[in-house]
Formats: sequence, structure tokens, C-alpha cells
Amino acid sequence: MLDIIKHVHHTPRTLMTAETNALPLSIRDLKFTYRIREQAAIENINLDLHPGELMLVAGASGSGKTTLMRCINGLIPRSYRGKLEGDMRLFGQSLADLTMAELSQQVGTLLQDPERQIVASYVVNEVAFGLENLGLPREEILPRVDEALDYLNIGYLRDRETFSLSGGEKQKVALAGVLAMRPRILILDEPLASLDPASAFEALELFRHLADEGISIMLVEHRVDDVLAIKPDSVFYMENGREMYKGAPDGLMAVADYHRIKLPAEYVLQRARSEAPSVFTPAVGENNGAGPQLLAQFKNVTFRYDKDLPNVLQDVSFDIHTGDIIAILGPNGAGKSTLVKHALGLLKPTSGEVLLQGESTRTKTVAQAAHTVGYVFQNPGQMLFAPTVQEELAFGPKNLRMDAATVTTNVDWAIETVNMEEYRESPPLALSYGQQKRVSIAAILAMRSRLLMMDEPTAGQDYWNYRAFMDSILQMPGFGAVIFITHDVDLALVYANRILLLADGQLAADGPPAKVMADEALLRRCRVLPTSLLHLNLKHLPQTGRLMRAEELAHAIG
Amino acid sequence: MLVTWKYRPRGTFLDSLDPRSRWITSFLILFAMVPIWHPYVMVGYFCLSMTQFFLSRLTWQETKRVWFFIIFLIVIVIGLNAIITGRGGPGEIQRLEPHVLWERSFNILGATWTPNITVEKIGFGITQMFRMMGTAVLFFIIPWTIDPSKYGVTFSGMGIPYRFAFSMDLAFRFVPTLARDFATTVDSQRARGYEVERLEGGLITQIRRVAPLIVPVVMNAIVNGEDITNAMDLRCFGQDKRTWIGKLQYRTRDYFWIGIGVAVFLGALYLNWGLNLENFFVPTWFYGLFGVVP
Repeated sequence: MLDIIKHVHHTPRTLMTAETNALPLSIRDLKFTYRIREQAAIENINLDLHPGELMLVAGASGSGKTTLMRCINGLIPRSYRGKLEGDMRLFGQSLADLTMAELSQQVGTLLQDPERQIVASYVVNEVAFGLENLGLPREEILPRVDEALDYLNIGYLRDRETFSLSGGEKQKVALAGVLAMRPRILILDEPLASLDPASAFEALELFRHLADEGISIMLVEHRVDDVLAIKPDSVFYMENGREMYKGAPDGLMAVADYHRIKLPAEYVLQRARSEAPSVFTPAVGENNGAGPQLLAQFKNVTFRYDKDLPNVLQDVSFDIHTGDIIAILGPNGAGKSTLVKHALGLLKPTSGEVLLQGESTRTKTVAQAAHTVGYVFQNPGQMLFAPTVQEELAFGPKNLRMDAATVTTNVDWAIETVNMEEYRESPPLALSYGQQKRVSIAAILAMRSRLLMMDEPTAGQDYWNYRAFMDSILQMPGFGAVIFITHDVDLALVYANRILLLADGQLAADGPPAKVMADEALLRRCRVLPTSLLHLNLKHLPQTGRLMRAEELAHAIG
Repeated sequence: MLVTWKYRPRGTFLDSLDPRSRWITSFLILFAMVPIWHPYVMVGYFCLSMTQFFLSRLTWQETKRVWFFIIFLIVIVIGLNAIITGRGGPGEIQRLEPHVLWERSFNILGATWTPNITVEKIGFGITQMFRMMGTAVLFFIIPWTIDPSKYGVTFSGMGIPYRFAFSMDLAFRFVPTLARDFATTVDSQRARGYEVERLEGGLITQIRRVAPLIVPVVMNAIVNGEDITNAMDLRCFGQDKRTWIGKLQYRTRDYFWIGIGVAVFLGALYLNWGLNLENFFVPTWFYGLFGVVP
């Protein structure tokens, strides 16, 4: 056992007065109302966390998971003001009696996006940050930094600049920074959100290991399916700010709505049999019986950002036709975003060529290309600016010089598609992240581009919402082809009719999902891991002939 | 997340110095030049700054954008301002008898405005440009030549309270982060058909037209600021005492470097009060360039 874990069993200096046998965390009748809202964000929350327990905290967006975590790590009420009621005890001591510094030494928090957590320029400084703040001697800090890095097998990153790390590396560095402080409780807030499937699985295994070594963990995640693979000890399931279920993981399957959180495919299959069959028919590429038309061509595209840097894309060639619904999968840093930016001409190939409806992107401005290609960026906050959702959505069509009537029609259609009618007059910047994401997608939809490209369209969205708008987008007539980048294997499996696998800037596979996804060795090479839904689909593939969602499969196999 | 400037160790003499001595000497030289307007001294000051630039072994390729920006800013803002208005100094121009090269009257809303260009104003403008260039070159090399992991400990080591020192560290890294975010926002809006280069309409319309670029960048900066604050709170920032793992130590070369700064500073004081060389003047040969006899 490493020192980092050994200290978990010691009585912390700050809690010497606490009861020796008290639980790491005990919450009774917790209620919190944000200052700017009238309704409580969470209420009537009761839970106990035992030493070495790995608790999955599940629930859809707005269920109150993040608010609960903020109450435990002290950001509520210190950074987020409001009315906090109830009793929270850390090893028997009331949280209200602890300073933020005392609390932070015991409760380590890993935020959803490691980019939001890392504050230092270099890995070594980042991991040391908390210890420096505690004023520990340098001679003590450095060994603890190395110990945390070694524990996570990332000692080789020690002297790297933090902003140059990949998503998975950033996640581990952020975790090392937390572990170096030797917390006794870890709060992990949707830690898989920005990771490719293999990195997500490695992270989950690591969390299980930490719990087995004695750290109590609360893992907030709506990807329940993935977390169940590491056998959490308990589940706390929330809806609308209230506890809906607390207990063993198996019991969750009976109470949770599988439309709202992602449960293992086997359970969905069983339960969907008793429901009416769902039919999903994409309308992408419909052109009254005419054959597929060529929309875009990538011809031997190689790209690097600077002549001194290595190639990000290497000799990539493929065509996009009407009717294509393409999912681009691949590890963090494989060049996926770089690839799709070429279609719009935001980046030009170092060598090779990208043709948009027969014309090279070198000869077009981005604004001209935007008539054909709609590109939804990953982070909505980097594009939203207008005073109302309606004006935000009208911005693109107006730039494309559409007439007023067309602008209105398109805006109405786009708002309806993403189910944001009630927010038409709301300022986009005041909406939640998930809602902003939907506005950013609608803003591109309103331009009625023939080719729609989305970079991680489901990031930051809960299962219910992203399924709803993916269904809706793909069932809308008007798009010639849709391309989306994702780390969600099931999203690709359910919606795409073609998959591009990208690894190290090269195209590792291009073909129909049933063919590409059947090659498990290839998937693993590209850090894509098969899911329970994929396994189930492959098992019944001879009977069904294609991959489909679990609800559909339930009726297809009878 | 904050990104850092493009620092890389180059094995130069400057690299081997304690960052504190770099800052101290730079400020000593800057302060030395504040009261002086003598054109020859100003050229000397510029040469001193350039010497440091060459010692850094920065290449033209790396720094050309900054050079263009600084030259543009200085020529337009400082140069033209000094030439047209003669302002910017403590009234030196007014003490000299003007030798007018160009003059014209404009009637603006009933008031007459008569701008002119004189040999003295041109001389003063050039002197000002040397001052500003010297100052810019003195400081703009810092991000390329000081290890970003040492910003905080450097400021703290110069006696600045650690909370403020860390804020300065963050502020330093905020600049390239802002540039990155701005580039992403420009791309996002271009993807919506926005043409940055085609700003049409009057001044107000044009200002409104840049809102799609400015608003997201500013809002992101605010959100990022909140994230950073939370991340720091969650790791105990703000205690009475803080340790910096970066170690700084003055060596002989640092004392030598600070000594240069002190010498320049004392030299400037001597020029100012000992030799009375602080005032602006126009050399006789400069009048000759314009065919004017002083």
C-alpha cells in the first residue's frame, strides 16, 4: 500500500475532536435553495457514506446531483449562496464548523471538466498546488507529488505543460492534485464526460481501486451503464432534487426510468418488451428517389498546425454522400475536430484537397462554405452572444443573406426541433449548459445547411435530452448528410449508418456500423470499447441484420 | 483552463538569471528613463533594450507579430499624436521656437483648428518612439524568456503578498488564453457566415457588429474566472502562509545584472541633475534634413 492511501486510515489533525468511529459522511434532511431561485434545488436528502464505499450518484440533468456535491465539498454555501438546511457531518463533525481549508483536506473534488480544475502551468506545480497552499515544507511536498504521480502511473508527465496534455492525461493530473492532499472522501463529478471510451474505463477502474484501498467515493455519473461495470457498492438515485432510490445497484434497475438514464442494454431489452415498439426512421438525404449525390470529398488530406509540429492528419481520404449519417470515433487527440474543420475551410490542408460540392475549400471563404456546411462547435459558450434565443438563431441565416420570411421560418423550425419554444425570448447566456448546447445546435440548424457537422453534440447533455434532439434532427427533412464526432459508442451505433474510426490522424476504418463495430480488435486499437448494447446487437446481428437501439431490438428479436 | 506563453529554455545568459533580477533590472532601467527627454540618451536607452533582446536569442519568426503590433501602435498612437499635437512631454515643444513645415486651418462647427507639423514635433515624435520602443522591447521578451512556472514565486520573492503574486501569475497567463478563446470564437462565428473583414455601416453599427466576437469572449473569461476561483478554493488557497515549490536563488551573475540596472539608474540621475541633459532639444543636423536653418 502506498503512502497516499496509508494516510487515509489516520485520524486527520483537523478532525481530532471528531468521533473516532463516526462515518466519513452522514447527511440528514439536507435542503438547499439557491439565492436567485424560490424552489429548492435539493431537499429531504439523507445518506451515509462508509469507509471505502464507492457510491454511484445517478440522475438526469437538473436532478440536483451537482448541488448535492457542492454542499458536501463546501462550495455551497461559500461560493454559491443560498439557504442551506439540514445536518451534514464529516467523521461526526458538522461541516458548518469546518473551514474551507479543513474541509478541502478531507474531501477531494474532481470536477466534470479537468480543464476547469487545473490552475497551474506545469504538471508538477498543479499536483503540488494544494500542498503549497497548506504551507507544507518543500521537502515534504515534492515526495508527495511524485508519490501521487507514480500512483497514477503518470510520472512521465511531471514536467509537461498542463495545457498540452490530452483529455485523459488532464483528468489524471487533476486527480493526482486531489490525491496528493490525501483526502478521505473523493467526490467525482461526471469524470467521464471528456474522455474517450478506453480512458473512461481506465479511470473507472482506478476509482474502484481507490475505494478498495479505503477512500470513500461519491461518483456522480449519468452513464450508469459504464459505472456498473466496476461494481459500485451502492447507488443514490435522484430526480427533481429528491432521493428516488438508495441501496444496492441491482435495485436501481427496477425504479429508474431507462429513458432518462442510460442503463445496461440487457435491462432495457427486458423492460422494453412490454412497451409499444419504437420506430426511428431518419430523413437525412431524402431526395425523392434520386441516387446519392456527392457532397464533399477529402482527397489525401494531410495537415499540421505548424511546420515544426507533427502531422495531425495523415493522408485521409473519404467521400460524403447524401444520406450519410457518419459518426467519427477515435481517441482524444486523434484529429477528429481538425478533420471536420477542414470541410468548412476553417483549416486548409497542408497537402491534399477538400472539395465541397466539387469546389476546393481553398477557393471559398468560410462564409461561402457555411451555405453548404453547418458546423456546431463543442463549447456553446464560445458562440452565444445575442440578447434572446430568437435573435441568436437569426444571426446565421441573416449572415447568409436569407430574406426575412425565410429567416423567421427557419428560426421557428430550429427552436421547435431542439424543444426550446418556451425560451424563445430568454437570453441564451443565462440558460443552463445543456440548454445552451441545444441553442448552439439550433443556431446552425436555422441556416439549413445541406451538410450538418456536430462536434460532441451530446457532451454535457443528459441521456433523455440528447436522444430527443438527435431523434428530432435526424428525422427532419432537409439535411443531405449529418456528421457527428462522439466518444459515445452507443450514440454512433444507434444513429449512424457509417462510421469513421480515426487514430493518430489516420483513417483506421470507414464502413457501416455492423461491419466496423464487429471488429473488436480494431475498436480496441482505436481506444473504443464495446458496450453492453453493442454486445447484445452483435449477438443478434444474424437475426436483425443491422445495429439498433435496445428498445427496437427487444421487438426485433421477439 | 489557462494556457501559457511559448517559453522554452534556450541556454542563454538571460535564462540562467534569477527572474527577480530580470524584473528588478528592467524596472530600474525603465525608471531611469522616465524623467529624461534628451534624444541621444533615448537612443542609448533603446540600444540598451535591444542588447537585452539580442541576448535572449529570440528569433524574428517568433516575435514578428509582436514587433508589427508594437510598431503599429507606437507609430500611430504615439508618433502621430506627438507630431500633430506636440503633446506627450512636459511642455518641451512649447519651449522651442517652432519651425513650421506644414500648416492648415480647419473650420469645425464654427471653431478654427490649425494643426501643423514642425521640425520640433517630428524630432519629439521620433524621440518618443525610441522611448516607447525601448520600453516595449525591455518587457515584451519576458513571456518568452521567463519560465511560466516561476511567475508566482518570482513576484512573491520580490515582496509582493502571495495572494496578489498568484493573481499576477494568473493574469500573465490570461493574455494568451484570451487570444486562444478569441480565435475559437472567430471560427465559431465564421461557421455561421459571419465575415469579420466585412464590417459595414456607421461607427455604432460597426461596434454592434463586433458584439458576436466580444460578448462570448468576455462571458467566457468571467465563467473561467469563477471556475478558477472554485478550483483554488477546493484546494485550500488563501491560508496565512504558502510554500512555493519553485526555488529561486541569487547568484553572482544576478548581482552583476542588477548592478547594471543600478548603474543605469544612477547614471540617469547624474545625467539629469549633474549634467542637466534631461531636456528635449532638436539637434542642428536634424533641421538640416528639412532644409531649415534653426
